[in-house]
Amino acid sequence: MKEAALEVQGIGVHFGGVAALEDVSFAANAGEVLGIMGPNGAGKTTLFNVISGIQVPTNGEVVFAGTRLRGRSIARIAALGITRTFQTPVMFWGLTVRESVAVALEAREQPGTYPPSFLRCLLPSGIGWPSRRAFDLAVLARADALIAASPLASLADRPTESLSFGEERLLEMARALALEPRALLLDEPLSGLNSGEVAQVLNEVRTARERGVAVLLVEHAVEELLAVADRIVVLDHGKKIAEGTCKQVVANPLVVDAYLGDEVA
Amino acid sequence: MIAEIWQYLLAGIAVGAIYALIAAGFVLVYQVTGLINFAQGEFAMLGAMTAASLAGAGLPALWAAALAVLVASLVGALGYLLAIRPARKANPVILIFITLGLSVAIRGAALFVWGTNSLSLNAFSSGTSVVVFGGVLSPQTPWVIGADVLVFGALYVFLRHTPLGTAVRAAVANPPIARTFGIPLATIGFWSFVAAAAIGGLGGVVVAPITSASYDMGLTLGLAGFVAAVLGGLDSLPGALAGGFLLGIFEKVSGGLISTGWEQGVGFIILIAVLVLRPQGLLGHTVRRA
Repeated sequence: MKEAALEVQGIGVHFGGVAALEDVSFAANAGEVLGIMGPNGAGKTTLFNVISGIQVPTNGEVVFAGTRLRGRSIARIAALGITRTFQTPVMFWGLTVRESVAVALEAREQPGTYPPSFLRCLLPSGIGWPSRRAFDLAVLARADALIAASPLASLADRPTESLSFGEERLLEMARALALEPRALLLDEPLSGLNSGEVAQVLNEVRTARERGVAVLLVEHAVEELLAVADRIVVLDHGKKIAEGTCKQVVANPLVVDAYLGDEVA
Repeated sequence: MIAEIWQYLLAGIAVGAIYALIAAGFVLVYQVTGLINFAQGEFAMLGAMTAASLAGAGLPALWAAALAVLVASLVGALGYLLAIRPARKANPVILIFITLGLSVAIRGAALFVWGTNSLSLNAFSSGTSVVVFGGVLSPQTPWVIGADVLVFGALYVFLRHTPLGTAVRAAVANPPIARTFGIPLATIGFWSFVAAAAIGGLGGVVVAPITSASYDMGLTLGLAGFVAAVLGGLDSLPGALAGGFLLGIFEKVSGGLISTGWEQGVGFIILIAVLVLRPQGLLGHTVRRA
């Protein structure tokens, strides 16, 4: 039995009288890809919002590596090693692809140390005293290596506002991986990608799993999800209706009825 | 006639260079914190008054100038920590009123320290006026333009070529996501306010030999800087530069061709026209935010 990295315990989210999530519990292990499946409006994104601290749950608790997340700010939750992507990619407009990845690496390398290193950070990259220069060059080299290993290789110097939707998605993924998360929440990372890019992202997901990351993957592309997920949780109308291996879930009549239909069967 | 217009243009460039410095402070704070800081003009007043009184006490001009910028920065830091930071989550309208209050407080303190008398500061370089194609610039104007080059050049290098500058641009582009990256928005907001105060202080130092310094000069400078920032685009530093020079030129040309009474009014006509026709300013962006 692997260690449970992320435990979702009885989460409920109510907006007025409407329950977006109701008593949802599951655990995601380190080094595991947990697929989250369900029709639109099932509560998948709300669940990610709760885990990443954007939405405070009405009831329940999320525990990450033994730490309770309730009451913690988005920044503190991120600092614990939980990183997410969004259904619509979120970019830093005005930065280039390389800068977007470098800023994540920089934040990762010196978390919360901007005030003490403030004066050092004022020096332009590549000049300054040797330790600073070495650090900056190492960050840029790592940014370049990450970009080179992704389908963004030819786009390093492009400003983010010139990217296509698919390219934005790939950049968001590269940026998330640069933060070296312990839990990675991916919200429909394959939508808008061509088949080559899909294969690349799935490879990145597998690599993250091998590095011991707990990956939560919301995805409507069922075949791809089943190909990469170790286990699946299925939500419908805010409730968990199934949890198990891919085989168990696709054979579950409740899941077939609520979501899959004839798609997989 | 052409010679006259050329002279008005030169006079406009000289005034515009000052407005651009004040506008840079408005834009810097607005970009990073979303706050319109109506105390910006008072930092210029502090720079001018401090430099004039220190130079009057016999301190070398360079030292007086450096200490004046330092005083403006320190007052900026204190103003942020005492007045703005405690209310940083308040409604933007409340924050604007707080900056207006800060402006009144700084002006009141200056009145208490220096009284109502104007102080003068010698031009940084002695000599006669600078002649440009037959038009005349005061010997202080090259110093004001030099301050523009220094400030806008330093901001460009900082924002484009330093790791912290990249982090600041990320924070400007998308604050909530930048926070999840560990970029400390509160710290960056504080330093942007201090930097804007320093830029304002420098503006006051270089303008003092032209206008002399008085406790109430910040209001006029601040309003002109605000109009210049809105004209160029509140979220654009190049816009602040362009807006400053354009406003100065509009003022002096209309003042010269129509009547000097128009000089003060033209800025507000421009402000209204920009807000109606192009609210994002000449070079401002319609920022895409997720």
